[in-house]
Amino acid sequence: MTSENVLRAARYPFLPEAREFISRNIDLTLESLEKTGSEAALKRAVERVENALIFKEVKVTVLDELNYVREILSFPIAVILVSMTMNEYVRRMYALGESRGAYRRMLNESDETLLYIGEKMGVEGVLDDESMIRVKIPTYLKLAYSFHAPHWKLVNRAVSNGYVLMGRNEYARLVQVEINNYVYEKTLEPVPMGAAPDSFRRAVGKIVEVWSKLEAAKPSHISLRERGDTPPCIDRIIKKMENGENASHFERLVVATFMIARNRSIDEIIEFFSKQPDYKYSVTKYQVEHLAGLRGGGKKYSVPSCRTMLTNGLCYPDEYCKGIKHPLRYGEENAANKPRVS
Amino acid sequence: MLQTSLEFLKREFFKYYYENIDRLVPPEPIRNREFGFFLEKGKGMFRHKCFNSLRDFHEFILSEIPLDIYVSAANYEDPGNRDMSEKKLVNAELFFDIDVEPVNAVSDEEAAWICQKCGQYDIGLKERCPSCGSPTELVRLLSEKQLREALGETEKLIHVLIEDLGIAPDNTHVFYSGNRGYHVHINQEDFLNITGEGRREIIDYLLIQGLDEKELLNILRRGVSIENISLKGVKKRVYMRILEKAGSVEKLKASRRETVLKMLEDVVEELKVRIDPVVTIDVHRLMRMPESINSNSGMVKRRIRLEDLSSFKPLEEAIAFGDEEACLKVKIAPKFSLGGRTFGPFKDEEVELPVYAAIYIICKGLGEYAGG
Repeated sequence: MTSENVLRAARYPFLPEAREFISRNIDLTLESLEKTGSEAALKRAVERVENALIFKEVKVTVLDELNYVREILSFPIAVILVSMTMNEYVRRMYALGESRGAYRRMLNESDETLLYIGEKMGVEGVLDDESMIRVKIPTYLKLAYSFHAPHWKLVNRAVSNGYVLMGRNEYARLVQVEINNYVYEKTLEPVPMGAAPDSFRRAVGKIVEVWSKLEAAKPSHISLRERGDTPPCIDRIIKKMENGENASHFERLVVATFMIARNRSIDEIIEFFSKQPDYKYSVTKYQVEHLAGLRGGGKKYSVPSCRTMLTNGLCYPDEYCKGIKHPLRYGEENAANKPRVS
Repeated sequence: MLQTSLEFLKREFFKYYYENIDRLVPPEPIRNREFGFFLEKGKGMFRHKCFNSLRDFHEFILSEIPLDIYVSAANYEDPGNRDMSEKKLVNAELFFDIDVEPVNAVSDEEAAWICQKCGQYDIGLKERCPSCGSPTELVRLLSEKQLREALGETEKLIHVLIEDLGIAPDNTHVFYSGNRGYHVHINQEDFLNITGEGRREIIDYLLIQGLDEKELLNILRRGVSIENISLKGVKKRVYMRILEKAGSVEKLKASRRETVLKMLEDVVEELKVRIDPVVTIDVHRLMRMPESINSNSGMVKRRIRLEDLSSFKPLEEAIAFGDEEACLKVKIAPKFSLGGRTFGPFKDEEVELPVYAAIYIICKGLGEYAGG
């Protein structure tokens, strides 16, 4: 492995070459980790997770890169620690933090390196004559649906002959999504708790402590779904938000107007929104009150119609949706037993 | 439908299936597909059926003679499981449905009405029943013109699928549904695993929904010429069509914002492909089996080769039955064309019709079999 490759592996420790480096040079079993002088790597691993939880981004400095053994090793250890917390929020925030950090670093890479990282992550891109990057439509659709800005919609893209064309930054964003997915899935792999060394358990304890402090600073959250009669489109957004995933402005508007229509109090709604990563009490309060018609012109906003949901790509109908034109009418005309044929 | 009509239908359906069974080849792999059937008129669908081989499938058809046959667009690990989530979806073909748009203006003889309230009916166009005054129901038979329009939409769809989405022509399978529209099945490896969200995006692309009008308006109103523009895909088509309608870049530049916006809306309406979005988004949907009979018309869901698409004549080429005469008691039927001939109008009369036309009238619920 060349020095360039080793530094790249330290900068992007989720790449296959980082795994290769470890398997060639380090005995990575839980039992041996403690002995291989990995204390520094363990410390750095905790720092990675803390970075993700507190700053929502894992930073890698030049010095970190030069300390490449520690750096490369700290990633799989961090994944083990996160997995050991068995905490969904920590998992999501860690994956987000790693992928965000990687995104920023990728922006400074050459086209060649950027495309190399993309390819290794399964987001194959081809540079064309006009220095645009082409990505196959199925790959694009798999990753881009998580973005909410209109310019990510396929209808607004330069599409040609099975490919979506984009610039470097947008391509790096797609790769970021895949890195996020990859890291998240890694943290789902179970770790045999009994086999973990004490130092690891102490590290997990430290992470959980950081998480609890952050949690305590937020108001407790309530579940909306028990009340039933929630159409699948809105249910989907609620589930997503309950998992701490970022919802778009429009999705938040849908949930807020829906809760208002179901006579939830302003406080209850604000509490529900407190799970969002970018939650701010004053902003949320202002916006929810505005939607409820308590501010401005006093206009109470209604839940968007099925048609609007569809246009915004948020319609996921089930059999109880047949014949309705508005989410609040969900379940009224039950045609569930009729098979859907064409 | 009377028992005698049903028996006549089943006998003729059997003849068709017996002679054409080799044409009924479900998409592979057959053992991963769910099948559904209507076995009797007015009864629910017999579904969650699966087959281990083509032979088993053919044997079932020839012994049951179903009125309608459906196969899932999806592949499942356990297609016979009655619980949809237990079927375990593997992947699903992309499936598009284009139906004819209802037309209001037809000539008097090509129309007929029925009053559901007092039971009156007659040839001609009447919005209200002359005896009881309640709104009437229009008797709709298939019209060449409507089907032509739907075929035009289908051609638009295929163009976008091939040019923009990169679907190989070999993976694009086009069918006349046998009744009121066209079906397009896409069996391309890398598109099989597209999720609900991804399908939604493809639908919006085809229906030109969620288009960023602001950006387009800016380009249009700045008078940027086509050489200096990097648009591709649907936006480019919209841009080019507006330019064509306006006449020149200069004229476009001189137009008022509202005028350009109106043109934009009109062009989107013109260029969008009128697919039924609900069908495409639903990965669990059952598709009518290619080359099977559609019991809503007695015609066949006919495969159309891409090169024959523009010249396809549904009302002649999708006929399933012979032209020997059958006797039919017709309640009401406006003038209609089928198999290259024109029939009717009929009212309360016993007529001799070729079997294919007789079955059409029976399937449309407008007459009963009265002997061969």
